[in-house]
Amino acid sequence: MADDVQLLDEFVERWRDNAYGCFSSGHKFCREVCPVMQVTRNENHTPTAFHASIVAMEKGLVDVADVADDFVHCTQCGACELRCPNTLMTGDFYRHRTRTVDVVKAMRALMVETGNEREGWRIWNERLAQDHNEPVLGETRVLQEHVADWAEGLDIPVGGETILFVDCEAAFARTSYTRAFAQLLQRGGVEFGLMREQWCCGGPAAEMGYVDLARKHADHNVADWRAVGANRIIAPDPHDYIAFTEDYPRYYGEDYDFEIVLGVELVNDLVKEGRIELTTPVERTVTYHDPCRLNKRKGVHEAPRELLRSVPGITFHDVDRVTQWSYCSGGGGGLPIEKPEITAEISKRRLAKAADLEVDTLVSACPWSERPLSKAGAEASIDVLDLFELVAQSAGIEVGGHQA
Amino acid sequence: MTVAFKSAIDDAVIDELRAIVGDDDRVLTGESSRVFRSRVPAPFPVHRWADHMPDVCVLPRTAEEVSEVVKLANRLRIPVVPRAGGTGLSDGAVPLRGGICVDVKLMNKIHEIDLVDHTVTVGPGINMLKLNEELKRYGVFYPDDPASYPCSLVGGRIGTGGWSLLGARFGHTRDNVISMQVVLPTGEIVEIAEGGGRKLRKSSTGLTLKQLFTGHQGTLGITTEATLDVIPRPECEFAAFFAFEDYDTAYRTTGVLTKSGLATLAGVVLFDEWKIAYLRRDDEAYIPQPESVKAVVAVAMYGRKLEVEPASKEVMRLGRSLGGKYLGDEISAGDWASRHDRYATPLHGRNLDGQAVIMSWHCEDAALNYSVLPQVREEWHAIVKRYRERYGIFDDWGMFAYTNGAYKPWADYLVEIDVGIWEQKLDEETWNAWVNCKREISEVSLKYGGSITACHGATRAGDAELVPAEMGSAWPVVKAIKRALDPNNVMNPGKQSLDEAYE
Repeated sequence: MADDVQLLDEFVERWRDNAYGCFSSGHKFCREVCPVMQVTRNENHTPTAFHASIVAMEKGLVDVADVADDFVHCTQCGACELRCPNTLMTGDFYRHRTRTVDVVKAMRALMVETGNEREGWRIWNERLAQDHNEPVLGETRVLQEHVADWAEGLDIPVGGETILFVDCEAAFARTSYTRAFAQLLQRGGVEFGLMREQWCCGGPAAEMGYVDLARKHADHNVADWRAVGANRIIAPDPHDYIAFTEDYPRYYGEDYDFEIVLGVELVNDLVKEGRIELTTPVERTVTYHDPCRLNKRKGVHEAPRELLRSVPGITFHDVDRVTQWSYCSGGGGGLPIEKPEITAEISKRRLAKAADLEVDTLVSACPWSERPLSKAGAEASIDVLDLFELVAQSAGIEVGGHQA
Repeated sequence: MTVAFKSAIDDAVIDELRAIVGDDDRVLTGESSRVFRSRVPAPFPVHRWADHMPDVCVLPRTAEEVSEVVKLANRLRIPVVPRAGGTGLSDGAVPLRGGICVDVKLMNKIHEIDLVDHTVTVGPGINMLKLNEELKRYGVFYPDDPASYPCSLVGGRIGTGGWSLLGARFGHTRDNVISMQVVLPTGEIVEIAEGGGRKLRKSSTGLTLKQLFTGHQGTLGITTEATLDVIPRPECEFAAFFAFEDYDTAYRTTGVLTKSGLATLAGVVLFDEWKIAYLRRDDEAYIPQPESVKAVVAVAMYGRKLEVEPASKEVMRLGRSLGGKYLGDEISAGDWASRHDRYATPLHGRNLDGQAVIMSWHCEDAALNYSVLPQVREEWHAIVKRYRERYGIFDDWGMFAYTNGAYKPWADYLVEIDVGIWEQKLDEETWNAWVNCKREISEVSLKYGGSITACHGATRAGDAELVPAEMGSAWPVVKAIKRALDPNNVMNPGKQSLDEAYE
């Protein structure tokens, strides 16, 4: 218990000033853009409550157990940080950005450390520790020997200077996504290889508070990259991209000298340079779903739109990126593991927004979003496709693989 | 689960509440649920946080649930505190005696959009920005536009008697609420309108009750549904900011603009030199302006193109007529567009040494006539200066005066002095100092024939004790109404000195 008190004190000390920036402002502009709050309408689940709870901890009013369930209610989409007036209006001047995603991650880590972990996440991460891939196939184990099954027949070498890192969801569940992307790279003449032994990036474990497990997976992956002499990592999945550009640099500091390439920007460049020709018309009326980790977390919104517009035959009804700050699939931050009903409702509402535009297809660019969105899309009679799947089709590629 | 509460709430009450809503997830007894629902953005006595916690929070979905909860509270004499967005700048939603927090955020549905008689009927938990996202496709909008537009909720706007940045053109909250459904302190569900019809904007039947149920700070009931006016979406918006080298010229120009008779005028706001200095603390607002700029007047207009275009030329002429300098299209359009985010940020707090410290924002508001603005300004700044120098945890963030009369911009102003408070340093002594500071500010307003508050509500210590004085000869009427509607003083007790109704 004494250790728990010390951990809590350290946590409060680390995050108190950041919390007071919100607590003192109290604008609460973040609330109505928060995808979870829009569904639950419960003030406990607001970014302002997350920060207030740190001040309340300092005052001894709540402890970790009191707020543990509250802190599950977050997809770590980052909308609240963007909408925060402190960030928006004076952030540049004071070098201030309200940190809420990091606070949620830190609190979840504290939950694990103090014995307040959530049952669903505990099991999920136990299975990750066992198989080194996230258990994305339900009861079916995701064994290391099958991690590259998606690549069957594509003749991709192992190793090399440029490595394609494949997300767990994309390697085992939505393999059409990965096959589309890999074949687009091949079409564009990009040389790349696979890892000798690819483990989960560790990002989701970190998002759920399993810090040591996340670090163990990062260590393995970086060692594997170094062993084959890699210096350039292609990450098609936005969640991996976050892990490689935010978590890993924090782990390794200056030693971390890999170039991380975002898949959608690479493919867009290949198309713009004429190295991939899109000639097969795709007769669909589509709208684009800004994946949170691209749009809100990384400010990436141009490249996917450019790429989508370069597909012949497409009718594109766009919704601007700022309006989409309040959109989400609900698929991130471990929410679907602990609160699947909230994820389902968030996706259902996202599809309703698409239906208003009278489209037949919702195009996303993140396999983690595509699982809940596809389920909601089936009910709304709207197809949910990944951008790479669509672009590959337009490039005349027989993609193969499966979507679930 | 065993729960122990400091007031009349025990396990039996919790069981009864759960039976009423039929969903344990909507009866919240946990510490965090209560902690989060004990404060609003106004400066908060963090050293006495626990004194303000409700004992239990209920998240109803229907008026019937609210009614049954209030009946239970009334029967057992348990305080009830209504809460919508919890974004108020006074203490309307802050429990003073524990009790049941009725949090209406789940009641956020749009029940009806009537484009023939131009109304929309909503639950009290809906936000105006979200409502307008839905209304946009029909070419109409709900014009209630406070600084908290992206986050405050319709129910709270009604409870506090909200004020809108566009009020001079489109009216304030009470002008845009046509009728509402209210749960009285004794639990009955009643329809409150001008007269009978739910969608009628004017009637002379019976007593006009509608005004009574806007701006009561949650002391007379809980709004469970509201029928609102919707307005044709304006074709165009025009904003112009003018700079002045002295307050007096800016003040006189404000008078010229507000008395221009232009019907498209949505708001005129006068920023004083303290506010300009505050905004100069960062690099995004007013910084390109030379030090000679001591006051700014901003004007906004909305309407049809055929109205606004010619009127904008007249605004440009009037704004410059006494020597004002137009600040250019970028600042005018940009600052107006960011009006909800711009004017208070905790990061701009400064201690006595000029060091940046994170400060909470208190905006002390008053309703004042045009004639007294200069004198009140001087006295308010002098009060804050005194407290700032003595205690070192306060900071003067300047004043503005903003047109306050609905549709009639010429003589009434919402006047605010924004005061930064270093909340992390608050203790009993400095909190009491702050309350005294507030009281002195309010006394100045009353001395000059003004009102303590134009829109935030006189619910805080420092304001609340002056309510009887401001109400004057009408105070016995106020007390009689409160006692008649809330015989057991269960509805948001302790606010606005209304306890006197039971003495």
